[in-house]
Amino acid sequence: MEATPVTKTIKKDLKKLILEGFKNHVLEYGSEPPSIFKFAKMLKMKEEEFYTYFTSFESIKSSIWVSIYKSTLEQIEAQEVYHEYSVREKFLSFLFTWIEELKKNRSYLLSLYEDKSKAFRTLPSDTREFKEKFKEFAGELISEGKETQEIASRPVIADRYDEALWLQVAFVFRYWLDDRSPRFEKTDAAIEKSVNLAFDLMGKSALDSFLDFAKFLYQTK
Amino acid sequence: MAINLKEQESIPVSKVERAAKFISTGAKVGGNYVKHYAKKMVNPSMDKDELHSNNATDIYKSLSELKGSALKVAQMMSMDKNLLPRAYQDKFTMAQYSAPPLSYPLVVKTFQRYFGKPPESIFETFTRSAVNAASIGQVHQATKDGKTFAVKIQYPGVSDSVSSDLKLVRPFALRLLNMNEKELDHYMEEVEERLVEETDYTLEVQRSREISEACAHIPNLKFPTYYDEFSSERVITMDWISGKHIKEWMETNPTQAAKNQIGQALWDFYHHQVHNLKQVHADPHPGNFILQEDATVGIIDFGCVKVIPEDFYQGYFALMKKGMVLEEEAMDRIFYSLDFITDKDSEEGKVYFKGVFKEMISLLGKPFHVDRFDFADNTYFEQIFQLGDRISNDKMFKKSRQARGSKHGLYINRTYFGLYNLLNQLQAEVDTTKPEWLK
Repeated sequence: MEATPVTKTIKKDLKKLILEGFKNHVLEYGSEPPSIFKFAKMLKMKEEEFYTYFTSFESIKSSIWVSIYKSTLEQIEAQEVYHEYSVREKFLSFLFTWIEELKKNRSYLLSLYEDKSKAFRTLPSDTREFKEKFKEFAGELISEGKETQEIASRPVIADRYDEALWLQVAFVFRYWLDDRSPRFEKTDAAIEKSVNLAFDLMGKSALDSFLDFAKFLYQTK
Repeated sequence: MAINLKEQESIPVSKVERAAKFISTGAKVGGNYVKHYAKKMVNPSMDKDELHSNNATDIYKSLSELKGSALKVAQMMSMDKNLLPRAYQDKFTMAQYSAPPLSYPLVVKTFQRYFGKPPESIFETFTRSAVNAASIGQVHQATKDGKTFAVKIQYPGVSDSVSSDLKLVRPFALRLLNMNEKELDHYMEEVEERLVEETDYTLEVQRSREISEACAHIPNLKFPTYYDEFSSERVITMDWISGKHIKEWMETNPTQAAKNQIGQALWDFYHHQVHNLKQVHADPHPGNFILQEDATVGIIDFGCVKVIPEDFYQGYFALMKKGMVLEEEAMDRIFYSLDFITDKDSEEGKVYFKGVFKEMISLLGKPFHVDRFDFADNTYFEQIFQLGDRISNDKMFKKSRQARGSKHGLYINRTYFGLYNLLNQLQAEVDTTKPEWLK
């Protein structure tokens, strides 16, 4: 990192500088910096200055997840055709674009999360903020899906659909990390198939008709 | 929205899941056999038709969910009508027309990857859902500058899964085709090679061009133009050819002259490829031919092209020569060179197999023995099926633990059966031209 003269006009860039510096450190050394003090020193800034932007490495990692998520949303929103999509297609489009964004950071993500036992502890906390934001997005999709009848409203379980979509995001991430196929084509296939399964399950199915019928028999007996 | 819900029901993702799918089908098929024999004990006169149709349904269900190469194998089996009992055929012919399509976002993603733009910014219009689904890809219709295009997009990951899919199909092929393992491996290699080629869209465009240029002089054929700027490893853009598939076309009650004209065009097309180009469009299933109002035929999909080695060509077609059946010694030589018989066979075996192959050849060569052949003649096809049935049920044949016939024969046989079959569906009578040396 080149020393940057700290002036007020580039205040915003400092945040970016920290994020970039953190990523670079992970990329070059394969791990997080040993301490915030050392990290700040490497970036040629004071430790307290660091704290005006982030309070811990966790918050940096979290913010990287969120920025990936945000640029994904920006990109899909920019596609004209996105607004004509069905809910299923919107979610597919989200995942396909998200994977493209992840690809730009693959080495960084691999060095942090490839080790499954470690990732098991760190991933949930690192992605907490991302998850919250994603659930807002998922919530919108689900209520749209209910309107268009793509998603069946069922008592109790229907409230957990956003959680189910999140699990799917987590599944896709894991699958992609382990994917060794050229151009990650297997991940594309995995997304396609898993989303279809999820939406088929959430959609109105024979089970609903069966329950409805059972209820009817029970009540009219 | 209702359409979207229908698109692509769950497809098993990993190899394990795919395997599980096959196992569950295997169990069902096994169950069908148990049912069959149970019923048969009660009613000995029951024939195997019901069993076959139960099996065919289960197997088809499993194959169509798997898509990719497994579906391809199903298609191939449906082509080799002589190899399959009747009930399987009808089910598998379904596989030739429609498999569930892929989602539009994935189409957009593929376009982004190869052309850097979504389809809407390349074309003026682009259909959101596939208008046609092939076994390893799907076709969308697009327009630009007053022209209509067919855009074929390959499913992701197909090329990687070819060999693992084939391994999964193996036990089924064994069961269905009544082949022994060695024999099957002998052919599977050849199938794998063709399938891998088929996933290479760049090669397909190149071959389509070569063959359509070389066949341009044949009357009543139409070939689409291919567009490099909108084609890549996974996408092929070509002219849209409008028209009907054979089945639909036949429903419009065309005149016999029209039927013959199309039949003749198809015959000439294959004649030129086999005898002059020595490479052939080896996928003559009905979906690849589009019949038009003016009794011309559009030919699409050059994914499966078989190059015919010269020595195989000489041997194979020498057998078709009229009167060849009489020359014992020459025939023996050819049988050896095509691996129909080998030194491993006992004397008794040699005599038996020679007899079988002679019968087969004189039957398959029939159209070659006359100047004009009427493919509407169903008795001819019945004879072929019967022979196929008889041979595959013959003890001597089943006992043989050896591969029979050159592997090149697999696709050439398939091509000729396919062609005969198309001509039969067309009810066409054609001049069965042949090169000078075969006359």
